[in-house]
Amino acid sequence: MSLMILDKGAVAPLVNALMADYRVVGPQARGPKFVFDTITDPSQLRLDYNTTILPPKKVLQPPEERLATFVRGAKPQVETVIEAQPTVLLGVHTCDLHAIQLLDKAFSQEYPDAHYLQRREQTVIVSLECLEPCDEHSFCKSMGTLTADEGYDLHLTDLGASYAVDVATERGAELLSKYGTAREATAADIKRLNEVLSAKWPRFTYRLDFDAAELPALLSTAYDHPLWDELGERCLACGSCTNVCPTCYCFNVFDEVDMSLAEGERRRRWDSCQLDEFARVAGGENFRKARAARQRHRFMRKGKYLYERFGVLGCVGCGRCIRTCVAGISIVDGFNTIYGSA
Amino acid sequence: MATNEKPKVAFFDFASCEGCQLTVVDALQTHLDLLDAVEIVQFREAMTEKGEDYQIAFVEGSCTRKSDEERLHRIRKQAQIVVALGACAHTGGVNALKNLHPLEDVRRWVYGDKADWYETYPARPIDAVIEVDAFIPGCPIDREEFIRVVKALLLGKKPSIPDYPLCVECKLKENVCLFQVGKFCLGPITRAGCGAICPTYGDGCEGCRGLIPNPNENAMKDVLAEAGLTVEEIMARFTMFNTYPLQEAKR
Repeated sequence: MSLMILDKGAVAPLVNALMADYRVVGPQARGPKFVFDTITDPSQLRLDYNTTILPPKKVLQPPEERLATFVRGAKPQVETVIEAQPTVLLGVHTCDLHAIQLLDKAFSQEYPDAHYLQRREQTVIVSLECLEPCDEHSFCKSMGTLTADEGYDLHLTDLGASYAVDVATERGAELLSKYGTAREATAADIKRLNEVLSAKWPRFTYRLDFDAAELPALLSTAYDHPLWDELGERCLACGSCTNVCPTCYCFNVFDEVDMSLAEGERRRRWDSCQLDEFARVAGGENFRKARAARQRHRFMRKGKYLYERFGVLGCVGCGRCIRTCVAGISIVDGFNTIYGSA
Repeated sequence: MATNEKPKVAFFDFASCEGCQLTVVDALQTHLDLLDAVEIVQFREAMTEKGEDYQIAFVEGSCTRKSDEERLHRIRKQAQIVVALGACAHTGGVNALKNLHPLEDVRRWVYGDKADWYETYPARPIDAVIEVDAFIPGCPIDREEFIRVVKALLLGKKPSIPDYPLCVECKLKENVCLFQVGKFCLGPITRAGCGAICPTYGDGCEGCRGLIPNPNENAMKDVLAEAGLTVEEIMARFTMFNTYPLQEAKR
């Protein structure tokens, strides 16, 4: 729609103003790492963060949430609960932005998920261009997520003393004009923006050994690859790789009753295909008992299955699964191994 | 439990520190409505009366001598539901550390020249002696989990105890992984349900809730060795709460 310029000094007043009407969530420091969390003071916001432990999907699909309340007995009652509130999600990197677009597809197709969709509807996304890699594990360049041209309401690019703000939606424009003090970009600003954007590309050097577009075809030949057994030996089945993945969306549903046993609530919590019990069904059969089969499933989801279902790859190259794995399992090494032996 | 009468509940202790029963006492203070739901007829830790008519038995502690077996069988005969309460009853807990040494040495070490006065043999979880219907893991138990188990039993349902590892809870809380700050943790192979309380406060998990089903012990050892632990240090961590299940798995 338009390109605006927001001085860095105007960010804190903007956040402060937003806090009056929205839950504002953004990257903050936690020990030596960063997390997305509710901002209670603008000084907590760290737009200079590298990556977060959990992706911002936690704002749209919380690790645990209430789905409904119920009353048991002769006249049972069920009432849907949707825990959503007006939210501004600040500082989303473009890898995570691509991931949110995949979640949007997953939660809106076939069985629309009212809980996710209402939160999504009430969330204004302010994303942030990455000008250098988070660390040695991000391979966003391979996955085509190093930049984005949709999926956000406002998109920031650091120009040094100010941010260039790409205003993409009416909602974003309103937010900026109502709560912030930005000016229209000049020809000089646009020139500077183009310089900054051109300069970033050579900095991203970590890549797959091949074109990611080949992944679905490559993996269709790899179902019996020896890699899976090797990963099964090393994998602890702790579930961290999927919990930190911005495109994983599986959950488990359970009920909790109060002490009267007459009332309760239905809740859901993130689940993981890497856990031993994930594929266990009534009768005790477990369809994916071996860790090797579970790791294969994860690789297939990221490189093939989700592509077949939604038309986009299930991996955005954020590198979180590599960072989090205490056993040192790398999805990049895995894909490269398969490519190298094909 | 489909009667109008409140189910009668009894608590028993074997070789243990009684910390799990203390946690139950604690839970009764914060969840007074528990006492509306059940009638406690025997609870040495908290009351003088001793009723022998009960349907649910909570048993803390491990079996460490022949006479324990007879008492466990009596409890099993009376109770419709037997619940192992805490690590000692569930996995043998720290009591089973003695199983790693010759029994005679252990007896002399603890009781000195009075060793012959005391009856003892290798420690076992109670399900090595009697059938157990449910277990509440942990050293000590988690009070909220205790409440959830009681509610499940009152509903006639099998209590749902997490069978996934601690890493899940730790990650969902977005704790900084202790391996990333130079510490050690058994979280990847330990049963969750405690809210990852030790890692949340910066201490590595010691495995008190027992191992997950099908744990990858070899990979865990590799990870700990990679992080700088010696074989002795790794084994000390593995055996702290899980000597009995690890020895049984090798049988």
